Amino acid sequence: MKFDNIIIGGGLSGLTCGIKLAEQGKKCAIVSSGQSAIHFFSGSFDLLGKVNGEEVANPLESMKTLSETHPYKRVGLDKIERLTNDALHLLVRAGLNFTGQADRNHFTLTPMGIMKPTWLTLSDFTCFDHKDSFPWKKAVILNFSGFLDFHTLFIKDGLKKFDVHAQIKNVSMKQFEAIRRNPSEMRSTNIAKEFDKENAIDEFAKKANVLSDGFDVVILPAVFGLFNKTIADKLKEKIEKPVLLLPAIPPSVPGIRTQITLRERFQELGGTYLLGDNVEGGVFENGRLLEIRTINHGDIKFEADQFILASGSFYSKGIVATHDKLYEPIFGLDIDGDSNREKWFDEKIFNDQAFMHYGVKTDQNFRALMNGEPVENLYVAGSVLGGANPLKEGSGAGISLLTSLHAAEQILK
Amino acid sequence: MNKNRSKEYDVIIIGGGATGAGTARDCAMRGLSVLLVERHDFATGATGRNHGLLHSGARYAVTDHESAAECIEENMILRKIANHCIEENNGLFLTLPEDDIAFQSQFVDACTSAGISTEIIDPKLALRMEPSANPNLIGAVKVPDGSVDPFRLTMSNALDAKLHGADILTQHEVIDILKDQDRVNGVELFDHAKKEKVKYYGKIVCNAAGIWGHNIAKFAGVNINMFPAKGSLLIFGHRVNKMVLNRCRKPANADILVPGDTICLIGTTSERIPIEEIDNMYVSKDDVDVLIREGVKLSPSLATTRILRAYAGVRPLVAADNDPSGRSISRGIVLLDHKERDGLEGFITITGGKLMTYRLMAEEATDLICKKLDFDKKCETANIPLPGSEKSDETLNNVSQKVYSGSGITQKSAKDRHGSLAHKIAKGDENEDSMVCECEGVSIGEVKYAINELHVNNLIDLRRRTRVGMGTCQGELCACRAAGLLCESMEEPGKAKDDLANFLQERWKGMSPIAWGETINEIQFTSWIYEGIYGLKPENN
Repeated sequence: MKFDNIIIGGGLSGLTCGIKLAEQGKKCAIVSSGQSAIHFFSGSFDLLGKVNGEEVANPLESMKTLSETHPYKRVGLDKIERLTNDALHLLVRAGLNFTGQADRNHFTLTPMGIMKPTWLTLSDFTCFDHKDSFPWKKAVILNFSGFLDFHTLFIKDGLKKFDVHAQIKNVSMKQFEAIRRNPSEMRSTNIAKEFDKENAIDEFAKKANVLSDGFDVVILPAVFGLFNKTIADKLKEKIEKPVLLLPAIPPSVPGIRTQITLRERFQELGGTYLLGDNVEGGVFENGRLLEIRTINHGDIKFEADQFILASGSFYSKGIVATHDKLYEPIFGLDIDGDSNREKWFDEKIFNDQAFMHYGVKTDQNFRALMNGEPVENLYVAGSVLGGANPLKEGSGAGISLLTSLHAAEQILK
Repeated sequence: MNKNRSKEYDVIIIGGGATGAGTARDCAMRGLSVLLVERHDFATGATGRNHGLLHSGARYAVTDHESAAECIEENMILRKIANHCIEENNGLFLTLPEDDIAFQSQFVDACTSAGISTEIIDPKLALRMEPSANPNLIGAVKVPDGSVDPFRLTMSNALDAKLHGADILTQHEVIDILKDQDRVNGVELFDHAKKEKVKYYGKIVCNAAGIWGHNIAKFAGVNINMFPAKGSLLIFGHRVNKMVLNRCRKPANADILVPGDTICLIGTTSERIPIEEIDNMYVSKDDVDVLIREGVKLSPSLATTRILRAYAGVRPLVAADNDPSGRSISRGIVLLDHKERDGLEGFITITGGKLMTYRLMAEEATDLICKKLDFDKKCETANIPLPGSEKSDETLNNVSQKVYSGSGITQKSAKDRHGSLAHKIAKGDENEDSMVCECEGVSIGEVKYAINELHVNNLIDLRRRTRVGMGTCQGELCACRAAGLLCESMEEPGKAKDDLANFLQERWKGMSPIAWGETINEIQFTSWIYEGIYGLKPENN
């Protein structure tokens, strides 16, 4: 099979890159092995939340202090502002309602009741302008009886710092009886499937309205709208008080919906999405990648003019560690990381871990290096790129979105 | 005897390992008034940091006849009194091509003379009995080895001590031994929960603190010449073997593979360490490499099995009093009456030995305590089952089926872990069946039982009681669920957040030496959830 571009990886980077290229008329395929980081989406995309442990107010400004090897610096700060606008518009065109600005972080509330700086927030969730104040005085935190993945006491404790009086109440729903009977089924996606049916929302909203009498805001776990894209909005219409949704333990319901929405956008643009398939390797000639093969398609070759590797970090198996080495498992590309495993870790889990910075080596145009030489038509995007600790910086989604748009632009030049 | 606790105990026992808990049980069963004190939690020292091997004694048969004979005797006793803590797996001693097959007959003779039953197995049959064993083996001997859960065993002893009237204080660290001239009469403790000092008085103070007994003795002004020996082990994420696998040769590094619950363990290394390092042990890269290299010889599939954790324990070895260099070390039981040895009345030390002989150590210590108190009552710990082991399996099935309506997994896991006490995991309502930890099948009901009745102060304690967070995900998702439940019962959310951070750090300590493959992937995912989405920090309170 012959495509203009083939993207390896169906997470946020792969989909963004695929959509961008398909919007420009390219014939694209995405090979995805399955779930990605969007499945544990917090509700927001971060651009740059912290530098050296200090919170960032203006990400575009603070990027200037990053090291020269950071992916943002390698994209070029002159291009970043335009790419942040492109990213937002691409998401909005896909039907995802995000808000936020690249030159001013806003805040969202975590399930520990802590304000966290971020860039773009999905409309399900609530943006706050200030980290030190909370717009409501009396909050009711509602949880479903038997749902262990939403920790109401942690939220209540966090809200104490804002002088908020919070009360926790449980809601029982007969719709959950069947899933509760199985001890491991009372999880966010199963609850969301019940709520995808509209009558459950009506009933829940009625209960919530009774329970929230006398309160200014209703806090709920974000378990609304898995396949049903309008249910989260309906919930907010039907509940009389403002609704503040907070993430539950993954899998993230809004995350899965976001993934589905982006995938559908890509497919509507004519893209081919191969789900549950893995790339086994490729054929290289004269510094170019000619074709790849996948497990599901056996002998069928996939050819393209350009390829994009967006296979993710360790947990997505974009990079693999064994007791004596690090490697990139598809093509054996060069890795930017120490081969001595004693250097990978710090003994304190909350410290900056070296392995979080590791990734595939590239040239200045984000083309993958193999044995020290760039592969002319193989671009690298997203968290398989090294050069940053996206967890410590709060830059994971930003790096994914901007480097994949940048790679798409290289190809479209 | 004196039951007036506000004044003076008959005996204060220091150390919540198997020996301390066993001594508390024995003393309490004989009718003494007992206080057991532990600085952290039950089984946090050497007790919880070994193979969990129910030794037949065969390992020591050739080199140490006395230990071998003690082991097989205690092995048979534990099968009776601690059935719910034990898996009767049997063991194989494998001779590999690089080993001398002539050792096998010497080994069998030594076992026979120590009272350990052996059966020489044809190599082909041995492979059918234990398909995970090295297919190149040239000899195999079957012995009555097994597995024992040291956490459960210690907890059962502590529970029984309590049922017999003992008082138990965990999170209470000894900061001084109180003396009246040349007589010990109590302990000064630091209560880590309340952050305050408190004194308790007793006629006898029994030092059962393992290697930490070195420092306890110093508080009393006496010197015990202890040599800490570090032993490192690896836990694999699957149970590749059903029988215990040993090498049929003189004991060496990394030559025992023990199956237990859902996992298996390879160990150990042996290395003398300075006494200053006993609270901060780490498993080095070399330790890990040796364990893997030798482990693969016993069972080749270990090469491709995921490693969950690495950890190390310290054996409390005691040098003979006339040998300060520590060259002639005894691995046997050491019972010191400091009146006889140092002229200090009211103070004894029980140390040395091993997990297998904890009951015998407790018996010997209690005999001495009784003698000093001039109190004549025989030991019964070898005959009366521990709580959880009283009933036959059949009755047990009836009990748990009546109590549970829930799933087979949580029901079976709870029964395995708590034996006939499983009925205490009463089903309050349908929500209590909900699974907190999917890897290990821990329900809300079980967590609540542990919090209410088993001295659980934090998530790490909870793990030892229920196996929450011990499975393949190492607490990735269940830690937060369990923290939520713990938080409800303690009503101190700030502390619960710190507790969650500590739990993740504790898990990481065991993961970092072996963090490659799936483990590095999991830790990255776990960090993203807790630090990225939740915003958890090392200090949250």
